[in-house]
Amino acid sequence: MELKIKGLTKDFKDFRAVDHVSCSMGQGVYGLLGVNGAGKTTLMRMICTLLKPTEGSVTWNGKDIFKMDASYRKVLGYLPQDFGFYPDFTVQDYMMYISSIKGLRPMTAKKRTETLLDQVGLRKMKKRKMRNLSGGMQRRVGIAQAMLNDPQILILDEPTAGLDPNERIRFRNLISELAEDRLVLLSTHIVSDVEFIANDILLMKDGKFFMNGTAEEIVSSMDQAVWSCTVPRKEADRYLSKYLVSNVKTVPGGAELRILAKRSPAEGAVMEEATLEDAFLLYFGEKAGEEHDGEV
Amino acid sequence: MHFYSILERKRVRNMMVKYELKRIFTKRMNRLLLAVAVLIGVVMSVFAVTSEWYVDSDGVNHETPDAIRRLTQDKKQWKGELTGDVIAQIVADRQKIARDYPDDVPDTVYGERIQAYSDITQMVDSILGGDEGYAPDALLGITTDQAKDIYSIREQYIEQLIQKYGDTPEKQEFLRTQYEKTDTPFYYEPADSWDNMRLYATTYGIILVVLIGFLAAGIFSDEFSLRADAVFFSCRYSRTRAVRSKVLTGLLMATVIYWVGMALLSGISFAVMGVSGFNTPYQVDSPYCIYNMTFGQLYLIILVCGYIASLLSASVAMLVSAKTHSANIAVCIPFILFCVSPFIGRAMPFGTFFQLTPDQLLNILNCARDPYIYQIGSMVFRQIPFVMLFYTLVAAVFLPVIYQCYRRYGLKRR
Repeated sequence: MELKIKGLTKDFKDFRAVDHVSCSMGQGVYGLLGVNGAGKTTLMRMICTLLKPTEGSVTWNGKDIFKMDASYRKVLGYLPQDFGFYPDFTVQDYMMYISSIKGLRPMTAKKRTETLLDQVGLRKMKKRKMRNLSGGMQRRVGIAQAMLNDPQILILDEPTAGLDPNERIRFRNLISELAEDRLVLLSTHIVSDVEFIANDILLMKDGKFFMNGTAEEIVSSMDQAVWSCTVPRKEADRYLSKYLVSNVKTVPGGAELRILAKRSPAEGAVMEEATLEDAFLLYFGEKAGEEHDGEV
Repeated sequence: MHFYSILERKRVRNMMVKYELKRIFTKRMNRLLLAVAVLIGVVMSVFAVTSEWYVDSDGVNHETPDAIRRLTQDKKQWKGELTGDVIAQIVADRQKIARDYPDDVPDTVYGERIQAYSDITQMVDSILGGDEGYAPDALLGITTDQAKDIYSIREQYIEQLIQKYGDTPEKQEFLRTQYEKTDTPFYYEPADSWDNMRLYATTYGIILVVLIGFLAAGIFSDEFSLRADAVFFSCRYSRTRAVRSKVLTGLLMATVIYWVGMALLSGISFAVMGVSGFNTPYQVDSPYCIYNMTFGQLYLIILVCGYIASLLSASVAMLVSAKTHSANIAVCIPFILFCVSPFIGRAMPFGTFFQLTPDQLLNILNCARDPYIYQIGSMVFRQIPFVMLFYTLVAAVFLPVIYQCYRRYGLKRR
């Protein structure tokens, strides 16, 4: 089981959305992390044969996925970021329709629909029209449809976007369950979505992969430490413009800041354990000041 | 094993088509439009059956639904071959009435005598009008011998028409052959129900064709308007069988809606009015018609042409929506082709071109009356067979184009 991306590039007229991306993926959960506009969706659409690359190739077990055509899509499940559906269909009709396009036999389709709706907790809703489902329920139908053909490759583009915290936790657990025996590529800009379930995290920026590894490896690659300090409230803005600040909390007598810096940013600052969120801020965060590590 | 695989494929395809159809018919707007189309069909049937009137021998006018059956019954006394003697007898009677009542014919006389042979007097007036068409009361000015010789008069006019419309020897020969195919004397059986239904079938056909275009426009554009394209195109058969199923759905939908609609209109109307006159030659109504057909056959041609227009409307709408991903543009094209183009045709100077535009499929009523013929090399052909064949081919040619257009979605490198 190997999905190999080699020098993958996608240009839209004068804009390069994905720039010579290469990687190899096997069984497990891969988190694709990057800010909006990093090129995650374009990359995923190419992996799903929805877009043809300008350059480079994607191979599945050594075969070009665009040449494989239907036989590649047979092993593919995809939940797009912008999950569109047919609003007048019931959940069951929608699942059956997608089953038919996936080539499932009617009896198999019916059984898979029942099983998956059970798995995503929507069995009781199967007669309800898609338009009448909540956003969370719609996303759950989205993942159920992606699983209909029991895919070896499951591509999930921002699956937790717009979900409330409970739904997101539920979703993460569901993805963990589904990840057994398959390749799951999960794109998000929400760090906690991948922090606990991804075996490997790919950081993407300006259409390129610039780092990959486990959450621990990415955190340990940071060249800056994480500091916690309380400063007078009127000073807070100055710190915000000078440093990368991952958190600001108002406390009696000032503001408690979580700062990324090489050296202690303030007197009494305490070094904290870095998290993936801190790494995300370091690699993707916008900084107002010119220096990363200035002294106050 | 192979048989099993074919069976499974068929099952999957049927499931695709079933859910594609379900997608069309679960949309509220589509359901509403279909309900409106059914309602229009019923209302038009009511109009059709109540549009004829019958005057009884007491001069009382009846406009009830049974009027057309009573009228047909009355006219049936003249059923049979319209020989020169029969025509002379009718012309003599009509001339006598004109002499007896020079100002205004009383309703009693109309109900007792004129009504029964009104189709035949109208035919004689049309023959005497020649290329100018129906000449009201022209029969009042002819002699008994001329009435007996009415078919000879027709032949003289036919010769004039051949000279007028046959601007090449091939065309003249073609016209002569067509006219020779029509047997005289004409056989007559009252055909009021068929005559009546021509107009209603044509009008209802236009409504159904536009509706079919509207419904078909969503088949290939919904994925994009609903942003369901990503899921669709990531599925195994999205670029092969699913596209074929969509095309099949469009054709099936057009077929079912058109024929169910027409069956509704025709069924209600003919059940009330009866089907007398199916075998009456259309020349009784239009003596210089170049199509050798009966009233019943003309009605069937109108229906078949409407069906071809429905298929064309569906395939054009599907093609445009597959290409543009927009249902709005796709809906407009069939509407322009079938509803706007006739008005443009009247205003524009390219008469011959506009005689062959797709809207002519829904204008068979008038096409049958006019001796439009065309020549390519030595081949001469008439308007109706040409538009039937040509637009069937066009609709068929569009189908693989739709398939290619849709299955290539997203596969441009830039």
